[in-house]
Amino acid sequence: MLASLKIGKRVKIIDTSGTDRLVRRRLLDLGITEGSEVCIKCKMPFGGPFMLESCGQCVGIRRREAQTIKVEEL
Amino acid sequence: MDIALLGNPNTGKTSMFNNLTGSYEYVGNWSGVTVEKKVGLLKKGTASLIDLPGVYSLNPLSKDEGVVTHFLLHDSFDRMLNIVDASQLERNLHLTIQLLEFGRPLIIALNMVDVASKRGIEIDVEKLASQLGTSVVPVIARTGRGCDELTEFVTTIESPSITSFTVSYGEEMERAIERLARMLEGKVNHSVRWLTLQLLEGNHYVKAYLQSFIGKEELEVFIHDTSKAVLSNVEEKTIDHFIYRKRQAAIGALLRNSTYTEQENKQPLSEKIDAVITNKWLGLPIFFVVMYFLFMLTFDWLGFPLSDMLDGIISGPITNGLESFLSLIGASSFIHALVLDGVVAGVGGVLVFVPQIFILFFFISLLEDSGYMARVALVMDRLMEHVGMNGKAFIPMMIGFGCNVPGVMAARTIETPRERMLTVLLTPLMSCSARLPVYALFVGAFFVSHKALIVLSLYILGIVVALILAKVFSTTILKGETSFFVIELPPYRIPQGKALWKSTWEKGKGFVKKAGTFIFAGSVLIWLLSYAGPQGLNVEMDDSFLAMIGGLFAPLLAPLGFGTWQAGASLLTGFLAKEAIISTMNIIYFVPDEASLQGLLINSFSPVAAYSFMVFILLYIPCLATVATIKKETGSYKWTGFSMGYALLIAYLLSFLIYQIGTLLGF
Repeated sequence: MLASLKIGKRVKIIDTSGTDRLVRRRLLDLGITEGSEVCIKCKMPFGGPFMLESCGQCVGIRRREAQTIKVEEL
Repeated sequence: MDIALLGNPNTGKTSMFNNLTGSYEYVGNWSGVTVEKKVGLLKKGTASLIDLPGVYSLNPLSKDEGVVTHFLLHDSFDRMLNIVDASQLERNLHLTIQLLEFGRPLIIALNMVDVASKRGIEIDVEKLASQLGTSVVPVIARTGRGCDELTEFVTTIESPSITSFTVSYGEEMERAIERLARMLEGKVNHSVRWLTLQLLEGNHYVKAYLQSFIGKEELEVFIHDTSKAVLSNVEEKTIDHFIYRKRQAAIGALLRNSTYTEQENKQPLSEKIDAVITNKWLGLPIFFVVMYFLFMLTFDWLGFPLSDMLDGIISGPITNGLESFLSLIGASSFIHALVLDGVVAGVGGVLVFVPQIFILFFFISLLEDSGYMARVALVMDRLMEHVGMNGKAFIPMMIGFGCNVPGVMAARTIETPRERMLTVLLTPLMSCSARLPVYALFVGAFFVSHKALIVLSLYILGIVVALILAKVFSTTILKGETSFFVIELPPYRIPQGKALWKSTWEKGKGFVKKAGTFIFAGSVLIWLLSYAGPQGLNVEMDDSFLAMIGGLFAPLLAPLGFGTWQAGASLLTGFLAKEAIISTMNIIYFVPDEASLQGLLINSFSPVAAYSFMVFILLYIPCLATVATIKKETGSYKWTGFSMGYALLIAYLLSFLIYQIGTLLGF
């Protein structure tokens, strides 16, 4: 799962089917979907959101959503 | 000729609009600066340009995105100008493909080619253009490079050909397009290909549009049949994903032939800054330090001395000049009083605060332009989630510090209706710049040694009350499970001096203009009410109509510490515009300048009553313009009434507690 990754490690997204429909759609708009390479830039404290980087652009998503995104190591 | 400006959020559409039209619109570095369409005349005056909200796709999620789809379906225009961010070409071309499918003449402005080349991406513009079958013009909207050529090109090119470029979605899809075309029997002017694809992607606007021609059930059957047929022998599970994949493949092929990427491992500056600003532990403290500096500069270090200077000029040379002029032309004592006690006191009292308001707007513009706003949303999300909102709602609130009206409108970018309603209802609690003169006056009189701190406490109180109420509302009247937070964090940009000044001026202009019109007229009226009474003209102020009106409220306000008719009357005018409170007080207390008003106030307020009064003003009601905006945004009298009612109640309660407890404690 994306949420359990260490900061700075690059991975590939393999499954987003468990993610909330709206979140998945918005991530798709931003070009983040199955097959995209991402890395976590930082995690906000107290269970706060994550900052992801993909193709040079940064996106903030909640930890809860990150827990639903399956990834594999490159 | 009408040209529609379309593109992804944060690609510089508004910068481009300003550059091409020579007019000014609000620019910021976060998604959703433009929430409705704006029309400007191109510099040469031959065509008008329509600025639309930024969208990633024509299938909208939020209300501001819906503006674009609605525009394409229902408004008429001649050609489209699609702004594409060269550094995020792959993502941007998804929208371009949808626009090409829409089938109107399209010209592409390839923006931020400088940013792209810094990131090692070189684009062969001609190859891209020939593959897409459209014209592509490279520009840098921020500096204006290439904009003149673009204007020339967009307006003079005879008729840009409609491209023959199509994405192949397979035979099943082609058959579906033909079937929908037969169902529509030529009743629509829009491209059936585009309508079919948007419908299948789940576009509600297109669906509603098609339902005006085709029965609801027939349309559902069509969607169902097509999805089944298309998905029967592919691996994708949903039709929208299938369409996305096909487009993605087409874009991939396109880019392989027209872009060259140098692999670079250098960490961009933006990410280095983010390592500090959105740092796990530093994020929140940095935000508070930024806010603290903003307030110290506005109220203490820079703003106060400047306002004092202006006050000296207005009450000294200007008043004296007017006085001698009036005596010279032999004006009657009525006119004398009207000009000096009414207009100069009322309008001058507000104008004195222009420097402080401009400093505040300057910093708000700086925060917006740099890209910090989106980071604030990220840093704040956890806190906002606890109260049933999301981090994005913090942006409208920050805008609300400048003026509540654009703040309420900025709530459109929030995707879920429940969170949007909460944001609309609570943004008016943010202390806008029009409330600033009231604080400035009172802290100058009562809290000289802690000016900025007292004002900061009011701003924070506004935020805290908003957060508590968000929690209360979201667990009672606005219940709902869905909370949604995905935010694009644009790269930091160094704000450009000229754009920054323009942005500050545009925001501050409204304040000056209001002083010259609304406050001017209001001052004359208030002065007349204070000059006339049941016994005739030139009565004692305490026997005037104004005293009678204000006196109605005085008993109600007594438990809050300011049960005078003067306070009652100024609060009443404060509903029209918050800065009118100052005008009214200046007229009532019959003083030429700020300093002597402060002297008088000390006699009628105790410090704790003064604080209670400021808290009341912070919360008691959204001003008239904000109320009108809330009505427009919610479309409901009930919610508009609620936004006024709860504010009044909360303000009364808090001021009551502050005054009563403060007095008990012996302040």
